[in-house]
Amino acid sequence: MTVTSAGGAGTEVEKRDDLVTLTIDDVEISVPKETLVIRAAELIGVQIPRFCDHPLLDPVGACRQCLVEVPDAGNGRPMPKPQASCTLTVAPGMVVRTQASSPVADKAQQGIMEFLLVNHPLDCPVCDKGGECPLQNQAMSNGRGESRFLETKRTFAKPINISAQVLLDRERCVLCARCTRFSDQIAGDPFIAMIDRGALQQVGVYEHQPFESYFSGNTIQICPVGALTSAGYRFRARPFDLVSTPSVAEHDACGAAIRVDHRRGRVMRRLSADDPEVNEEWISDKDRFAFTYARQDDRITHPLVRDPGTGELQPTSWPAAFAAAATALTRAAGQDGGGVGVLTGGRLTREDSYAYSKFARVVLGTNNIDFRARRHSAEEAQFLASHVAGSGLGVTYADLERARTVVLAGLDPEEEAATIFLRLRKAVRKNGQRVFAVASHTSRGLAKLSATVLPTAPGGEAAALSALGDDGEVALDSGGILMVGERLATTPGAYTAALALAARTGARLAWVPRRAGDRGAVDAGCLPGLLPAGRTVSDASARADLAAAWGVPALPSTPGLDTDAMLGAAAAGQLGALVVAGVDPVDLPDPAGARAALAKVPFLVSMEIRASEVTERADVVLPVAPAVEKSGTFVDWEGRPRVFEQVLSGGHALPDVRVLAGIAEAMTHLSRGLGFRTVEQARAEFAEVWFWDGARAHAPAVDAVEGPIPGTGEFVLDTWKLLIDDGRMLDGEPYLLGTARPATVRLSAATLHRLGVVEGDQVTLRTQVGSVTLPAETADIPDSVAWAPEHSAGVRLRSSLGAGAGDLVTVSAAGGASAPGSAGRQGGQA
Amino acid sequence: MPSLKEQLWDPVAGFGVTFRTMFRRVVTEEYPYDKKPTAPRFHGRHQLNRWPDGLEKCVGCELCAWACPADAIYVEGADNTSAERYSPGERYGRVYQINYLRCILCGLCIEACPTRALTMTNEYELADDNRADLIYEKNDLLAPLLPGMEQPPHPMRLGDDEKDYYRGTTPTAGAGEGATS
Amino acid sequence: MIVDPLTPVLSETWDAERSWTLETYTDAGGYRGLEKALTMAPDDVIAAVKDSGLRGRGGAGFPTGMKWGFIPQDDEGAGAKPHYLVVNADESEPGTCKDIPLMMAAPHTLVEGVIISSYAIRASTAFIYVRGEVLHVLRRLQRAVQEAYLAGHLGADIHGSGYSLDVIVHAGAGAYICGEETALLDSLEGRRGQPRLRPPFPAVAGLYASPTVINNVESIASVPMILERGPDWFSAMGTEKSKGFTLYSLSGHVERPGQYEAPLGITLRQLLDLAGGVRAGHRLKFWTPGGSSTPILTDEHLDVPLDYEGISAAGSMLGTKALQIFDETTSVVRTTLRWVEFYKHESCGKCTPCREGSWWMVQVLRRLEAGQGTAEDIDLLLDMSANMAGRSFCALADGTSACVDSAIEYFRDEFVAGMTTPAWELFPYAASALHAPADTVGASR
Repeated sequence: MTVTSAGGAGTEVEKRDDLVTLTIDDVEISVPKETLVIRAAELIGVQIPRFCDHPLLDPVGACRQCLVEVPDAGNGRPMPKPQASCTLTVAPGMVVRTQASSPVADKAQQGIMEFLLVNHPLDCPVCDKGGECPLQNQAMSNGRGESRFLETKRTFAKPINISAQVLLDRERCVLCARCTRFSDQIAGDPFIAMIDRGALQQVGVYEHQPFESYFSGNTIQICPVGALTSAGYRFRARPFDLVSTPSVAEHDACGAAIRVDHRRGRVMRRLSADDPEVNEEWISDKDRFAFTYARQDDRITHPLVRDPGTGELQPTSWPAAFAAAATALTRAAGQDGGGVGVLTGGRLTREDSYAYSKFARVVLGTNNIDFRARRHSAEEAQFLASHVAGSGLGVTYADLERARTVVLAGLDPEEEAATIFLRLRKAVRKNGQRVFAVASHTSRGLAKLSATVLPTAPGGEAAALSALGDDGEVALDSGGILMVGERLATTPGAYTAALALAARTGARLAWVPRRAGDRGAVDAGCLPGLLPAGRTVSDASARADLAAAWGVPALPSTPGLDTDAMLGAAAAGQLGALVVAGVDPVDLPDPAGARAALAKVPFLVSMEIRASEVTERADVVLPVAPAVEKSGTFVDWEGRPRVFEQVLSGGHALPDVRVLAGIAEAMTHLSRGLGFRTVEQARAEFAEVWFWDGARAHAPAVDAVEGPIPGTGEFVLDTWKLLIDDGRMLDGEPYLLGTARPATVRLSAATLHRLGVVEGDQVTLRTQVGSVTLPAETADIPDSVAWAPEHSAGVRLRSSLGAGAGDLVTVSAAGGASAPGSAGRQGGQA
Repeated sequence: MPSLKEQLWDPVAGFGVTFRTMFRRVVTEEYPYDKKPTAPRFHGRHQLNRWPDGLEKCVGCELCAWACPADAIYVEGADNTSAERYSPGERYGRVYQINYLRCILCGLCIEACPTRALTMTNEYELADDNRADLIYEKNDLLAPLLPGMEQPPHPMRLGDDEKDYYRGTTPTAGAGEGATS
Repeated sequence: MIVDPLTPVLSETWDAERSWTLETYTDAGGYRGLEKALTMAPDDVIAAVKDSGLRGRGGAGFPTGMKWGFIPQDDEGAGAKPHYLVVNADESEPGTCKDIPLMMAAPHTLVEGVIISSYAIRASTAFIYVRGEVLHVLRRLQRAVQEAYLAGHLGADIHGSGYSLDVIVHAGAGAYICGEETALLDSLEGRRGQPRLRPPFPAVAGLYASPTVINNVESIASVPMILERGPDWFSAMGTEKSKGFTLYSLSGHVERPGQYEAPLGITLRQLLDLAGGVRAGHRLKFWTPGGSSTPILTDEHLDVPLDYEGISAAGSMLGTKALQIFDETTSVVRTTLRWVEFYKHESCGKCTPCREGSWWMVQVLRRLEAGQGTAEDIDLLLDMSANMAGRSFCALADGTSACVDSAIEYFRDEFVAGMTTPAWELFPYAASALHAPADTVGASR
């Protein structure tokens, strides 16, 4: 297939001159050439039954259910036999008769349906697909009323696990190969394939390798029968039990559209919704299955206030909790209170972030607010203020698909932004897009993108990006896109270099954060130097503009502290109070220091869904609603607002917006509280302050510094979080966790040789702080670099080593090397 | 001045009806002391039937709930395991509730049942003094264990898989259907 | 008067001492066609094959020269990719047995044909995909290719012509479907053998998505003689539209089964005369013109010319010219069942009609064979067959329905009998065995 400018999604409707006119069921219709007859028929409202056909998969013509009669193939001659409309492209003057107008086509379809049911067990009553099954529906609409098959059906043992999450019932399978084609074509994980032949053909897995794919759930959704079902949803509900609410996935910054199906106040499952602009019809398994975290036993059900007498958290009423928080925060924000800091984390909606941003400025009178619960830098803040905040829709998925060249830096799409990964893979496969990655090694996701890795040790990204434009091979130009991930913040000068590269080559630049709320937080001004919509704290006119909009005399002009500085100040006893929303100390650059700071700060308010390390230390705990229990907006990496509505009602928790409004209203010195109480009001007010055409922040200009030079036996650590890691938003879904990739230390073959270990043997990463022991794995990584997952089962790299990407560690063979091949989930930590 | 007839006859005329009726068949029903049998196909309280070995026939498919025009039935399915088996096959009804405050005893549910697990008895005494007790749970609806039946969970006794049960390929299969309370 | 109509060309040297060796072949004039071809321009070789009127001998009868002409020879697009010749030697159809004897007895005929054909289409690699089960053929072919390399007929710069060719003999893994050309390509590439979606056609995107010619063994083996003796010599034989000679394989209830090489258009009556007639004491009941996938014919069709048009007019297909002869001791129901069982076993499973239809048909036919058929079974079989034919991805289902349809068409009464009487009672199976003692023979009706 060639790259054409026409036909891409997301562009305005173009006048096309490549239309082909044909007649379907006596209706004349013009469609673009190369259109399949089955899709052309949809346009005139005729649904031709089908199983193997899927608009996003390559045509295969396997099930033969979509047979139509072609009295004129466009050359005046009829086609002698019924044709499969899913593989038949339109031709000028073609005449097609579907089952709606042709007895031949109708009979052919009924014949195929009868064949399909020959070996189908008809166990609909126990099948999870029953009630929403294309086979059931089409057997009713396009099948014979009665079966003539009285003989013996083929039988298999059922069901079998092809992964921890996916169950396969081979008896029900109609062998349409949608699942195998999806895995091969879309996800790039061809771990399931058709095996055997004839009626005994079946979907099979490699004997020793389960169906390990981050996208396996999509095969369940596109299975047209009940052959693939999920362990998580097995026998849970029927379609008529379920109330479906469209929503947006909260696990990453991709904004994937989902459908949440719930029954009696419990989410039963989540499906991918169809959004051609964003995730098409695919979502990652994390987006699909990770929803049980919101109903764990450690959910906070009541506001809690620490009893000064016993030191224990005591349940209390909302007004009492608001009052307690308001009193203490007022004192801390006052003249001698030491000030307040606000840490907001990555799970917030834009409305929530906006509420925190305004709460900090108006209620607490401070710019001490930062959403970054990870490594960060002033350069990053400057980059976000100058190029991301308030910029609206930038590079889109459609742009990504059309781009000739994509350069990734500080981003592993499959692990950190799964929807981007799928779109890139589509572009690579269909358009011949070339992907380059500034990364330490070829991860599995990069391999599936056929990416060219520009081997870079952590810390060397700035230099690598600076060197790029001059490199003839990459040939980044205005048709290219440079995608930078949040991990670049760890390398001084990297954002500066990325901006310079984009300016030099004309390539477009996109920032891809990891968490769903990050882009919204930037837009809402949850940064110490940034106000909503890209206004800067240092700009007096911006402050005045916003103060007028907010109806306050003035806004604090002192630049605030960032996350590190706030925690540092708190640890040093210089901060009067901290307000902490979804932040887990384990994610912070210095978890131990953060814990000390949280313990030390005189007053700690925690807005949390479930009990956490922060709530343990908090003085007031306010239960806030998870995404499923509130409405809101996530802004995806494109800058596209993804509005979603509340799915479940009747919970005890309140949205962060309402909680902050409650505290503000309890503060007696404020006349009008926060100015809004509901998510909708916050959204409306945000829309009012969204327009800002004043000055923006300057681009960062930070010189690159050379990364640490590893001494003998030392390695530069590289790390990121895997998609399915040990995060708290994956709790309660053992089947999903069963599909997690095992935690390993990736080292070069030479290093393994030097350490005298083979793949699968345990190796130990060690720093002054501590050590982590994991099985070794070979990778095409520089000899001086060691990679390990940041936060997988049994691994807490930051806590255990006190180190992150770019820091130095030592690596040694662990005593008692295990047998090769036993590289499992046996990570431990010292 | 009333006539003689009005004075003498009319006051006792009414007793004529009484006397006449004394020699007719009594229509009064002595319920609840004397319970009358219903018509054989009377739609009474539901029953969840068992296989002759005591396993439940219900597979938790929810078709009854789907068919119910009054939304009176609530079912949750669950997985049989080899260690804990309630019905032949993969699936059984873990939760089964019929809300008799809603039920109109129309019988669409028993027509929908694919395994003849749900049938209706002639039991019509469905009254209570509180709402909660009128939501019948699975253990209220299950047919009692007859001789030879064994309280689930237990392994399949009448065949190797559920097909043996459904096809009746074992000598005694099917005999348990319609066991009444 | 019968003039001996046989034209032994391919089979000329089959009875020679050690006929498979290069020496025997060369002594009989082998590799002269190659010499001549190398002096010609490749396009002239294609023209010669076109002029000869050679049609594919694998069953479909597509003109070979025309197929070669479809290969893009320009320097851009598909033409710029390497070209491949693939020889389909995956002969597995019930009844078909011409390529395997040819490769056994005279493998060099094929090797020479491969070299000339590859030269014509400008391929520098050719593959011979041999059915995996015939190990002895495989060894003989490999030896022949080795001999050809040693003699300089293969390898770099063949005989100083500047043309280089490598031939790879590849063994299949035992799937009938790999005789379907696109399934063969998938199998050759190391995938599961399942037919591919067309378009793109192999001539544009075949093996490794490159232009590929796929020809039957006999077609390719016929090429050297066309070059050596000229297209006119070839086209002088045969009939108007079916030119040349071919191998007719007679098997079954015939006195002298074997390969009969004759011009196209000969009749079965003539061939039976040459083969000594039907088994002594019996008469012809039905026969297949080209393997089990072609509808059966009966003794009414003895005088139908065995060429592409003649057989087609009689309602069947010439196919591979595998003439299976069945005499009156044979049960049509049983024969059909055995064929359909074969198709059920060999269905690749990709598409529904073939996969499920053959599964179901076998069960119905078994019932009929056992005399336990129902009144609806014949209509059911015909309806199933109608739902399979032309509805499937490749022609395998067509073969299944062809044998069922034609069997019911000509011998419906035997299927009717299958509702009451087992086939083994009507046609004692021992009687149709070739070693059947004479006394059992009379038991049939």
